[in-house]
Amino acid sequence: MVSIAIDVGGTFTDCLVLDGRGHLGQFKSPTTPDDPSRGFMNSLEKAARHAAKDPRDFIGEVDVIIHGTTLATNALLTERGAKLGMLTTEGFRDELEIRRGFKNIRTSMYNLAVPPYKPLVRRYLRLPVRERTLYSGAIETPVELSSVSAALDKFEAEGVQAIAVCFLHSYANPENERKAAQMCRDRFGDRVYIATSHDILPVSGEYERFSTTVVSAYIGPIVSDYLLALEDRLTEMGFTGNLLMVRSDALVQSAAHSRRQAVTLINSGPAAAPTAAHFFGRLLGHEDLISIDMGGTSLDASLIRHGEIPTTTESWVGDERVAIKIIETHSIGAGGGSLAWIDSLGLLRVGPQSAGSAPGPACYGRGGEKPTVTDADVLLGYVPADYFLAGEIKLDAERARRAILTIAEPLKMTESEAAQAIFRIVNSLMADQVIEMSTKRGYDVRDFALIVGGGAGGVHGAYIADLLGIPRVIIPKYAALYSAFGMFAMDMGREYSQSCLVRADKLDPERLEDLYGELAEKATADLKESHVDESEPVSTRTAQIRYVGQFHDIEVALPGTLRSPEDIRQVVETFHARHKELYKFDLPARAIEFRTCSLRATLARKLDLKLMPLAQGQIDPGAAWKRMRRCLFGGDWIDTPCYDGQRLLAGNVIPGPAIIEEEATTIVVPDGFDCAVDTSGSYLLTRR
Amino acid sequence: MGQLSMQSRAADGGPGKPLQAETDRPLDPLTLSTIWHSLQRICREMRRVIERTAQSYLISQLKDISVGIWDGDGNTVAIPVGLPIQFVGAKYSVRYIMKEYGDDIYSGDVFLANDPYRGYSCHPPDWGYFRPIFQGSRPVFWTLARAHVEDTGAAFPGAYFSDPYDVHSEGLLIPGVKVIERGREQRDIMRLIFNNVRLAEGVRNDSYAMIAATQLAENRLLDLIGKYGIETVQRCVEIMQARTEQAVRACISAMPDGVYRGESSTDDDGVELDVPVTVRCDVTVNGEQLTIDFSRSDAQRKGFVNCSYPSTYSCSVASAILFLDPALAEYHNEGTMRPIEVIAPEGLVVNAKYPAPMGGAPVSMGGNIQEAVMMAMSQALPTRAAAGWGRRYGQYIYGIDPRTGGLYVFPGYHAEGGSGAVWGYDGYQGSASLGTLGEIARPNTEDYEIRFPWKVISREFRKDSSGAGRWRGGPGFHWEVVNLGGDAGMHTGAGQGETTFAHGCLGGRPTMPNVCHIVHGNGEKVLAKVHRLHKVVRGDHVVKDTSGGGGVGPPEERDPMAVLEDVTINELVTIETARDVYRVVIDRATLQIDWERTNALREAAGPAESR
Repeated sequence: MVSIAIDVGGTFTDCLVLDGRGHLGQFKSPTTPDDPSRGFMNSLEKAARHAAKDPRDFIGEVDVIIHGTTLATNALLTERGAKLGMLTTEGFRDELEIRRGFKNIRTSMYNLAVPPYKPLVRRYLRLPVRERTLYSGAIETPVELSSVSAALDKFEAEGVQAIAVCFLHSYANPENERKAAQMCRDRFGDRVYIATSHDILPVSGEYERFSTTVVSAYIGPIVSDYLLALEDRLTEMGFTGNLLMVRSDALVQSAAHSRRQAVTLINSGPAAAPTAAHFFGRLLGHEDLISIDMGGTSLDASLIRHGEIPTTTESWVGDERVAIKIIETHSIGAGGGSLAWIDSLGLLRVGPQSAGSAPGPACYGRGGEKPTVTDADVLLGYVPADYFLAGEIKLDAERARRAILTIAEPLKMTESEAAQAIFRIVNSLMADQVIEMSTKRGYDVRDFALIVGGGAGGVHGAYIADLLGIPRVIIPKYAALYSAFGMFAMDMGREYSQSCLVRADKLDPERLEDLYGELAEKATADLKESHVDESEPVSTRTAQIRYVGQFHDIEVALPGTLRSPEDIRQVVETFHARHKELYKFDLPARAIEFRTCSLRATLARKLDLKLMPLAQGQIDPGAAWKRMRRCLFGGDWIDTPCYDGQRLLAGNVIPGPAIIEEEATTIVVPDGFDCAVDTSGSYLLTRR
Repeated sequence: MGQLSMQSRAADGGPGKPLQAETDRPLDPLTLSTIWHSLQRICREMRRVIERTAQSYLISQLKDISVGIWDGDGNTVAIPVGLPIQFVGAKYSVRYIMKEYGDDIYSGDVFLANDPYRGYSCHPPDWGYFRPIFQGSRPVFWTLARAHVEDTGAAFPGAYFSDPYDVHSEGLLIPGVKVIERGREQRDIMRLIFNNVRLAEGVRNDSYAMIAATQLAENRLLDLIGKYGIETVQRCVEIMQARTEQAVRACISAMPDGVYRGESSTDDDGVELDVPVTVRCDVTVNGEQLTIDFSRSDAQRKGFVNCSYPSTYSCSVASAILFLDPALAEYHNEGTMRPIEVIAPEGLVVNAKYPAPMGGAPVSMGGNIQEAVMMAMSQALPTRAAAGWGRRYGQYIYGIDPRTGGLYVFPGYHAEGGSGAVWGYDGYQGSASLGTLGEIARPNTEDYEIRFPWKVISREFRKDSSGAGRWRGGPGFHWEVVNLGGDAGMHTGAGQGETTFAHGCLGGRPTMPNVCHIVHGNGEKVLAKVHRLHKVVRGDHVVKDTSGGGGVGPPEERDPMAVLEDVTINELVTIETARDVYRVVIDRATLQIDWERTNALREAAGPAESR
């Protein structure tokens, strides 16, 4: 029984292996952007080597792989998606581009200098179909086959790779969409990827539904090809277990399902980090956390208040509205691979361009010649050139020096001054972003604990905290594989919804009970299809309820079964109370109506995430002393004690300046900080 | 009211008041930034509460909502989201209530105002709830939540009926009265109010939503004060107002000194039909000072197109702000307004005397005031030039919904065309109505078919509907709906632009005519002009074809490849228009540019108009 979590980031592919005895092994391999499934397999082979097993034997023993990837998000943000066609109700082909008039998404209403919106499907490929379903679900006009055929002819001529089928009121009756989608399949087979709006987001409001569907179709071919290739490779290697994907809402689902609904992989990798933060926060008694995950390419930040991981259905990803439920994270282009450069005003800048994994930082010696943050980290002595990823990648400090010289010279600085400048700039860039994320929500960052993950997080974390005035930094065990760790803490499952428009006073509890029964059956069947034979699913029921006339619902938890009108009255009471709690008023005399019934079915996963406690040691960390290295602190080269992360014990306290060399990362304890080792193996840095 | 511009000068400490340097009590940057952003955030949260809980289509779905925070003296602190005419100058409303109630203001009080003359709502359907926020015995902040309610007890349901006798025919007038005193609802007053509006239970729901938003603001502000102390919070506000003022003065002084003129007309005043009404402004840039003077505007009218001074002030300031450094856009406040003076003599359409009706103010003349100022400012700063937007072309349809037997009011921002072009960019294509600066949302077709007994036949971009230019406007729309209910009335007061047009800039073309028809079951097609009441029976279609935004720069200077893209990819421009207006010849068979003929045509057109 082996479980594996794999997180494919922009620079590294992280692989975390949990064996039957509760041991965690961590492995990092470079991401292979041209075909990320190669990097994925490399990381598995590495894990196999470490276990001293033949890869086939090793993979044969794995029963589940949980996978998160930035593929979907990147394809959307870098405009590398499919050439798209859209079939839509005649008379409404511009709904997508009109986008309900939303202009001021990230800009103020007082700013007019905003370039016009460029939709993912250009107008000449948004083609009308004669058909009409009414809001009641009645089909007024069946699909006119000739108008679909004509559109498909044009799609064929234009070489369209994916089609979004988006008809009015399809959430109320999907028949017309289904028929048109079938015609697409009959015509194109597997050559063209199809997404239908009733499948992607079966709720009313055509703009939000259409936009989400178009995004799904846009990234569909890339996601689908990738997952098929991956499954093939895994099968070839003898994998017989389950491949599960991390969803936008931090649940996991089968790869087959992800292929059909590619949009559910938006934010798939970063969505796992808050779960890790939440796990360690709970372990260490912190409910208010700012989580930052600093990898090679980007920094993903999220904010957890009162122990709640924030989700939203109101996301904009790039310039697109994505209305499915998504974990809220904030991403910026700053990481170990970020390039340092000099702008037209002669100022030193860092990012957002990244050296990525190819060629990577100059010190990797893979042809990169431009200076990066990692090169600065090496030159400053923080990152050990001989022990990067436990010595697996030999870093070339001389190349780092030469790269940094290319900017030091024009700035009339020494290399170490330039390296320090890069280090400071990237830290304040990241700190500014965290402040923006937090204060724009009206929160004071100083009230939070900073929890830092990612390969480069340990080097920069304390400095960022210092800039933010945050006194406490948590660098968890497995920080370098932070998101991957979060994947282990996630539930397998999905949320199922069914619209049920009825006033509370006319509601028949038995009918409602039947409806939830149907949803539960569907959930059980789906989970079976995923071949997960662990425990019975655990389901929780909620209903979306509103005052009659309102346009938005409140989600109210329902009891396990509804038997009597008294049970319904209880729900009604809960709704009034919740409305008052959220919005400061209620309207007890006003009628309320049920809108949607939802069932969230999850499997209690058997993974035991109890980290094996570290042995207790003394305050003095001397036993883990490894060596002295020269590092630059506050402008001076200082002989700095380095400790071996593997040999530190719980209760050790390391006074800064010091370096902790872990296998997968390095932790810098700056002057003025103390670093305590926790029984979970996490590092707690506090300002003295 | 005639003296209001003078009064405002006094209350603001005079427009020429020298900037106070940040004193020797500095605030650490993180605290400053946190408090300042919190104030903006509170406003967004307020709007969200209203959106989430309101039951009026216009409020919840289309966001006809404004919120803000003012200081204890009625100076503007935060106005990040709202519709300009509803709230940019709402300091006048706050000061009115302070003056009327004097010492009789307590913690827990809430005031309601919708009277354009007493409490300064731009028109009666916009109900504003005001709450003072106390620290000790004095109000240190005021907050406002204002939204366009479904009904305000006027002669007809909805809003924007264009032929009222006077302001009293436009609805129940609430002059800033205390509806909650020290936390206790004044039941008698509320009963009286709700007894005088249609759809009373809905309006009550939405009133509570607004009151709740002000309550939320109070909680958040008190938290902020509790955490940082009132002195620090006030210090932060002072510093940010001073910094903003300094930055705005720097922007203005970078503009070339001079007098720039702009004007804009609306089709008529609703009473005297087909006679346009015009506002004219002279914008004077003099060093660090900007003066916007409307003295040459038309006299006030019998019809509903009149504005109060605060309305004129709101629209003028909102338009001028568009030409300041975009980096300031997120944070405008009293500091922005100190270097800007707005002059509007009493008795003109921009500062009308009681009892002139004002029901149409937000669309006409509010939108026109914004256009006139934009037109003038575009001359002052050609590289920031901004053309007029597709003009507001809404309607209010009211009748009985056969599905429920109840009254419905069907408002909407369905069909007005997109933004005007700005220097450097084509107009934004979806956004609706300059009067909202793009804050209003358009309805989803599905949502209004669920809510109203009308079916939508079509809503699409209309070809050749953009004002042409080197940068063209966003396109206009073709919109068609059919009545599935019974007999209904339709006001077309919330519209204009059939016979008058918004400006293009620097040789760009202005907007084009909006057109609306009612098509009866027998095929008979009747023109349904603006500022009138029309009747629509079951089976009638309403069809609108609207103009997009105006253009910037001469159309014959548009990149020919962009013209080709408009023809083949965007399908927004016909081959004929490409040739006749943009002077780009596109071969009909190959759909490629015929460069030889294009060059010949463009040379024949001669050099572009002088700029």
